[in-house]
Amino acid sequence: MASGDLIVGLEIGTSKVCVVVGETRPDGTLKILGVGQAPSRGVRKGEIVDFETAMKCVHEAVVDAEQKSDVMIRSVYVAVAGGHIQSFNNRGCVMLPEERDEIDEQDVEDVKINAREVSIPAQNAFLHSIIQHYHVDGQDGVLNPVGMLGEKLEADFHIIHGVRTRVQNTIRCVKELPLEVEDVVFSALAAAQVVLTQHQKNLGALVVDIGGGTTDYILYVDGAVKQSGALAVGGDHITNDISMGLRIPMARAEKLKTEEGSCVLGNCLPGETILLKDDSGFAGKEIERETLNTIIHLRLREIFELLKRTVEEEPFINYVGAGIFITGGCSLVNGIDYLAGEIFEMPAHVTHAQTMSGLTSAVENPQFSTAIGLLKYAQAVQVDRPRRGITRIFGRFFSGMR
Amino acid sequence: MIQLSKNYSLPERQEESIPIKVVGVGSAGSNALDRVLLDGMDKDDLIAVNTDVQSLASSVAARKVQLGRSSTHGLGTGGDPELGYQAAIESADEIRQAIADARMIFICAGLGGGTGSGAAPIVAQLAREAGSLVIAFATLPFSFEGKRRAAQAQDALSRLNDIANAVICFENDRMGDMVAPKAGIHQAFGVADMTISQSVRSIVNLIQRPGLIRIGFDDLFAALRSQNGRCLFGFGESDTDNRAHDALTQALKNPLMDKGRMLSESAHVLVQVAGGPGMTLSEVEILMRELGRHVRDHTQIVFGTAVDGKMGNRLSVTIISSLASEDSIATQAARPAPEPFLAPPPAILEQVEEPPPNIDTVPEPEVVVPAQPAPSDLISFAQPATAEALPPAPAPSIKKPAPRLIPPKKKAVVEKEAKPPKEKCVQAKQEVMQFEPVTRGRFEKSEPTIVEGQDLDIPTFLRKKVRVK
Repeated sequence: MASGDLIVGLEIGTSKVCVVVGETRPDGTLKILGVGQAPSRGVRKGEIVDFETAMKCVHEAVVDAEQKSDVMIRSVYVAVAGGHIQSFNNRGCVMLPEERDEIDEQDVEDVKINAREVSIPAQNAFLHSIIQHYHVDGQDGVLNPVGMLGEKLEADFHIIHGVRTRVQNTIRCVKELPLEVEDVVFSALAAAQVVLTQHQKNLGALVVDIGGGTTDYILYVDGAVKQSGALAVGGDHITNDISMGLRIPMARAEKLKTEEGSCVLGNCLPGETILLKDDSGFAGKEIERETLNTIIHLRLREIFELLKRTVEEEPFINYVGAGIFITGGCSLVNGIDYLAGEIFEMPAHVTHAQTMSGLTSAVENPQFSTAIGLLKYAQAVQVDRPRRGITRIFGRFFSGMR
Repeated sequence: MIQLSKNYSLPERQEESIPIKVVGVGSAGSNALDRVLLDGMDKDDLIAVNTDVQSLASSVAARKVQLGRSSTHGLGTGGDPELGYQAAIESADEIRQAIADARMIFICAGLGGGTGSGAAPIVAQLAREAGSLVIAFATLPFSFEGKRRAAQAQDALSRLNDIANAVICFENDRMGDMVAPKAGIHQAFGVADMTISQSVRSIVNLIQRPGLIRIGFDDLFAALRSQNGRCLFGFGESDTDNRAHDALTQALKNPLMDKGRMLSESAHVLVQVAGGPGMTLSEVEILMRELGRHVRDHTQIVFGTAVDGKMGNRLSVTIISSLASEDSIATQAARPAPEPFLAPPPAILEQVEEPPPNIDTVPEPEVVVPAQPAPSDLISFAQPATAEALPPAPAPSIKKPAPRLIPPKKKAVVEKEAKPPKEKCVQAKQEVMQFEPVTRGRFEKSEPTIVEGQDLDIPTFLRKKVRVK
């Protein structure tokens, strides 16, 4: 049984639902007690399309996790993804009253609210507002302005927002089970918490979480989030491409992708084939390996190139020093780091959650980065504020997260 | 089988080797010579030509020619091309002597300075008068060296272009890109020298190496035809397991290549793949297929391959091409009528232009061995070559079988290389015309993801019209 505070992360992915149970120890470490998962149905491109089915899958996964970790799950942190999620940077500004020149906590609160006063589309809701840096009287790069002297306090925030109803769908799916939703977290933000070390965030890093239905990214420079977003393209698309290109069923295409596929071209002999066995074990269709790899290569290249064009709209990618960190289920495709490195012209690594204790086999699988990241995120925000519950959602989302 | 390879021996090798000389003009030129020597060229083939005695003394070349004994008195030109020109005219006889017996002259010069800019065109002219083929490797100065130098360099370059059969031009600025910002400046210049050396060596090899599919001067000139344009040059060598891929990647990484992007704009690409006896057809095929992605469908690929015992496990790729500059056509038209001694080379150019670009018909006097290839030759060659690879005389032992193989090999490789682009061309057009609705598979019922005007749910290979199967 768990002794410390229980934290549960839930990710409703396109290919699987994943629940990670962890506990925070008094010394601040995080231990993973158990991982539950279930194949996902009713989810396309990171969003729920069949409510009933998706709910069953979530239930299955939660029960699985409860059995494995031997705890009762009451509340969860939920990851959200989907092509609707967008972000931008905004700067808030407050002037201190004339009679006072020391910045206090209220000023910091005010500047945060001020930074939030931007218009986002009416149907959208704020997911995160992440502090990048404060500026005091034009002095850059202030991390904590409380106690400093100044007249003008400014703050740069990275604001992530998404379509309200779609986020609510996810929340409702969990609440019907019934489970409490502590918070919703953009999946790439969660993944980045465990994939990157603080040092890498400071150096600058691009985390790309390629899951089944979506490709989420988040870019850190100087330890702060500068860019983030999602593309509604992922591993499912590769499988679909293979299935259509080779005229084989989806399930077989999926198997072929994970077992035989690679996204590096020119590595196989001309005419090298893969023999597909049919259900009875007899030799079935022959597939040219290069063809398979070409299909995978083209799709992944497109995803990366699209991503590159997206991040290059702003200059931050040029300050990335640590490279690209690829995680998520699709990162298991052979040669993906090579391809990403080639396209982005910087080092690329396939990574999984780091610095965790407990079930290491779970930690070492990039498929679970997001769910494990949720725990780390939760741990970080809980230090900031004691539990307050669901009212926070769509309310204040300022956290000390970086 | 062993008898076969013994039969083909040295005498013919001598016949085939073309006497060449590499002339380094100016101090940049002699730096390049140092590098060329390091990379394994014969010392006797190198000639250093300079006004500066000090620099000349430190050169490694076997033969040295001091320019302008009386006009510069053994000092440099101080960056004045006019002085370099005078000095070269003064020592014309000595230069003539030095290059007398070569059929092919490579001139390495750093343009922009006095000697390089002034004397290199003269050396080229003397070489042409002596009836040699002249290929010039010119480096243009870094832009930080000033506009004056750049202008002098451009001036000299256009003169070289008029005189030499081919000019391969390296922009030092682009070389700089290859070097890490923190590397020392000597490294930046070193990279430039290295690239020149690589290209000298690979062009020499290109022309001298007994080829299964030979590349001759004509092919080379065709690839470099657009004078005044930018020369694209790439050379890669690898001995890893995946050497075909690695060598090509390396070749495309060359600073003159711009990662292969430039290739897509050129009309003529010359490729030579050389390797030891262990080079397989499939490796060549992989490599060419990969290269095919970098060029347009209608680009003429002149393909050559050679087996050289000295290569051992290594496989090398040389890519040469050129981009026409916008004004090159105008320049060509405006070029003054060639003097009598200039007459033959243009003829060569025209000759290449005239016949339809068909690799099979390219005249190759040295290789044409009309002997009917017995099918057994194929097997007999492949086996001893790999099994034997005798260190003392590997090259000659393979040399003769090579020409013998030409006809079948050509069919096997050249046709494959020549045809797919055409096929692809047609294919692409056909697919444009298709009207059947494109399916989205499992995403049929979900909300489409449209980015930049493309529905990402449709398989990428369908949208990009890449034929699978």
